[in-house]
Amino acid sequence: MQAWLARGPGPVLALAAAALAAYGLFVASPYGLRLLTIAGVYALMVLGYQFIFGHAGALSLAQGAFFGLGAYVTGILGSRYGWSFPATFPLSLLAPAALAAVIAAPVLRLETHYFALATLAVSQGVLLLAVNWESVTGGANGLPGVPGVELFGLALGRGWPLAAFVWGWVALAGLAAWAAMRGLYGQGFLLMREAPLAAGTLGLDVGRMRVSMLVLSALYAGGAGALYVHTLGVISPEAASFPIMVACLTMAVVGGSARVAGAILGALLLVHLPEWMRGLERTYLIAYGAALLAAIVFVPDGLIGAAERLWRRAWPPTGPAVPTAMGAPQRAGPNAAGPALAVRGLEKAYGGVRALAGIDIDLARGEVLGVIGPNGSGKTTFANLVAGLDRPDRGRVALGGRDVTGLAPHRIARLGMARSFQTPQLVPAMTVLDAVAVARAEAEGAGLLQALAAPGADPALARARGRAMAVIERVGLQAQALTPCGDLPHGDRRRVDVARALAAQPTVLILDEPAAGLARGGAERLARLLRDLADEGLGVIVIDHVMGFVLPLADRAICLDAGRIIAEGSPDAVARHEAVVEAYLGAPGEAAAP
Amino acid sequence: MLTAQLLLNGLALGAAYALAALGFVLVLNATGAVNFAQGDTVMAGGFLAVALATLLPQEVGLPGLLLLPLVMAGMAAFGLVFAWVAYVPLRERPPVTVFISTIAVGIILANAANAIFGAAPHAAPPLVGGGQVALAGLALSRQSISIIAVAALLIAGLALLLGYTQLGRKLRATAQDPEMARALGIRVGVMIGLSFALAMALAGAAGLLLANQFFVSASDGGALMLKAYIAVVIGGWGRIGGAVLGALLIALFEVGVAAWASYPVAEGLLYVGLMAILLLRPQGLLGEAARRRA
Repeated sequence: MQAWLARGPGPVLALAAAALAAYGLFVASPYGLRLLTIAGVYALMVLGYQFIFGHAGALSLAQGAFFGLGAYVTGILGSRYGWSFPATFPLSLLAPAALAAVIAAPVLRLETHYFALATLAVSQGVLLLAVNWESVTGGANGLPGVPGVELFGLALGRGWPLAAFVWGWVALAGLAAWAAMRGLYGQGFLLMREAPLAAGTLGLDVGRMRVSMLVLSALYAGGAGALYVHTLGVISPEAASFPIMVACLTMAVVGGSARVAGAILGALLLVHLPEWMRGLERTYLIAYGAALLAAIVFVPDGLIGAAERLWRRAWPPTGPAVPTAMGAPQRAGPNAAGPALAVRGLEKAYGGVRALAGIDIDLARGEVLGVIGPNGSGKTTFANLVAGLDRPDRGRVALGGRDVTGLAPHRIARLGMARSFQTPQLVPAMTVLDAVAVARAEAEGAGLLQALAAPGADPALARARGRAMAVIERVGLQAQALTPCGDLPHGDRRRVDVARALAAQPTVLILDEPAAGLARGGAERLARLLRDLADEGLGVIVIDHVMGFVLPLADRAICLDAGRIIAEGSPDAVARHEAVVEAYLGAPGEAAAP
Repeated sequence: MLTAQLLLNGLALGAAYALAALGFVLVLNATGAVNFAQGDTVMAGGFLAVALATLLPQEVGLPGLLLLPLVMAGMAAFGLVFAWVAYVPLRERPPVTVFISTIAVGIILANAANAIFGAAPHAAPPLVGGGQVALAGLALSRQSISIIAVAALLIAGLALLLGYTQLGRKLRATAQDPEMARALGIRVGVMIGLSFALAMALAGAAGLLLANQFFVSASDGGALMLKAYIAVVIGGWGRIGGAVLGALLIALFEVGVAAWASYPVAEGLLYVGLMAILLLRPQGLLGEAARRRA
């Protein structure tokens, strides 16, 4: 019994679904069926909302607008021109998706609350059109007489046929949503939400992921809007109004923003809430507001999230077994002749501060280059520019002979660049295994269509985990493979960061202050690992302050000061160079501070 | 003359918007949180004025100006409750949770107003009196002039408070760097509460000013929120003077376009303008987002 329960809440959910079906078929009154249908419509809308709000982590306030647009397409075509369901439904899906695609690129660039407000503006715009474009939309009164659903000559009556139809769509949509996000592709979103900088440098096309989520959410909302209008029989601006957005947001937050069950639970609960509290009537929206506030303060994961946590505490899952390490196909090498990385004349200024004033660096394959310099000398700026996190003002960066200046970080990563960060950007809830596996998302071809097309467990995830295990063994963390990153001490986190950077088989690896916070044993182990990797052909750049770590490890060293290279050569020579000593300690003749 | 009257209307509207935008900036600077309920708070202030006005004996014809301190005090108290309920429990959480909690408060306010007053527009009594005043050979609306005067006084008062008093310095210090402020012995919690109270008081004043000439209805909140936001984006994110300037520009635009075409056209163009600003003028945005230390 224990083992059966520990496998997860699946059986319980199946039972709940059966209970719901039984209620709908045998117990519910006609009014109850209508409520159930409306709940299904909302469930569909919230399932879509979870893509952009839960997985992409962006607070979109346009879901109501997409819903309204889908509703109006079906309403206008059905009421004015008598078009039937097979013609109007696809259009109701496409129109909001097209709108989402159009606004996505500019709007998704914005940070959190700007994005929310931009989407609010879009939704106000849609409402404005709905109310004022009377000739098309029927204005404030809307259009009556929208036909019911008619498929292949068969008319679906109100009552349980329509309810079953709507919930059929909910089941299909829920299955698709679960399938799309269950595997390696879905893991990428977890990384994108919590460590967006790292996600880019690990090869995840963050921009495209967000656009996909917005378009998907609009698609689902459009479908929900169409079904809504068929249920009501009329279309009016109420379908594009803010209360529907409010309801959607509340259901997502109360139910749980990343679980299919959460969308369904939230919809069922909040559609029936006003019924259970008869006295509320017109003030049911106040109850929604209060529910939203209470949920966000006390159960931010939603009811399903809280239930999951309790379940896991009562019946801890046995968890996936540690996979056997798999070798990965070798990356097609860059032209072996020529430097692995070539930087020419790199310049960058931030406002009035010249971070880099023109530097030239060559990194040969299999070479370890140490970069030292006092604080503010431009070392991290250099790492950022080369990895694509920022654009240089002037200069060129060539990776394996190919010009990568100004390319987006994910594209440079896919060409063979990897970098680690001063503070390891790990997701606390992810296991070491998954943290490294997600770095292989692009290499394993993880994507939306791939996830949908794969039956059963996601093969890309299994492959990525197998290959990740090989890298984890390489850095010596196999004992902690299933430990959540949040539970690791700093030294181990550093190794996870390095493992992650290695997972996609880069040709150049840049490490930004890797020795910071490491005890001597850990630093020595890391140095040995880097030496081994370099001997295998990896080009390594180590930026650090800890001379005892960098200088013995490096084949060659460079010292930066105020954005320029002031010394270059063998590590010992650079360490003893006059200009370097002066940069760190000041000139011998300077008076000591009083 | 028509243009003088239009200009005056625009300035009056802009003055009220400026108060709303200032409240928005105050909360933003003090807490880094975007207050989605800002528009609904203005609306609530307007309705508070409407409710209190019923207590004023009608026959005596007392000016609505008397309501101003009451409305501001009431809304300041609300501001403290707001901070305690929607901000303080969520301080350690990601910012999106505060957005959602303020959305929730806005929903509660809007629907409470709807439940109590109904959906129709209401009017509060005029500040000093209705009718017109002859000035420089023109007949100008007394209410418009009163709005501009009151708003100007409040804005000047705020500028004095923030710029020249010790309390103002403490508020600004808390806004700039709460950790450092705490280390200097400033009671950050109290300062945050005060910032909310001040912001809500200003929003309440804006509501009172708007409620006579421009009416107030329960559904006003969303559009007002967007206008406060546009004002702040135009004027430079987080800058107080900029918020006032942005608010005036929006109001003049709105009044001008509405006179030339219609009000819905003005609103639509405003949203288009907002999208254009968000896309084309990153300066206002980059200045706010802190650079992530890689």
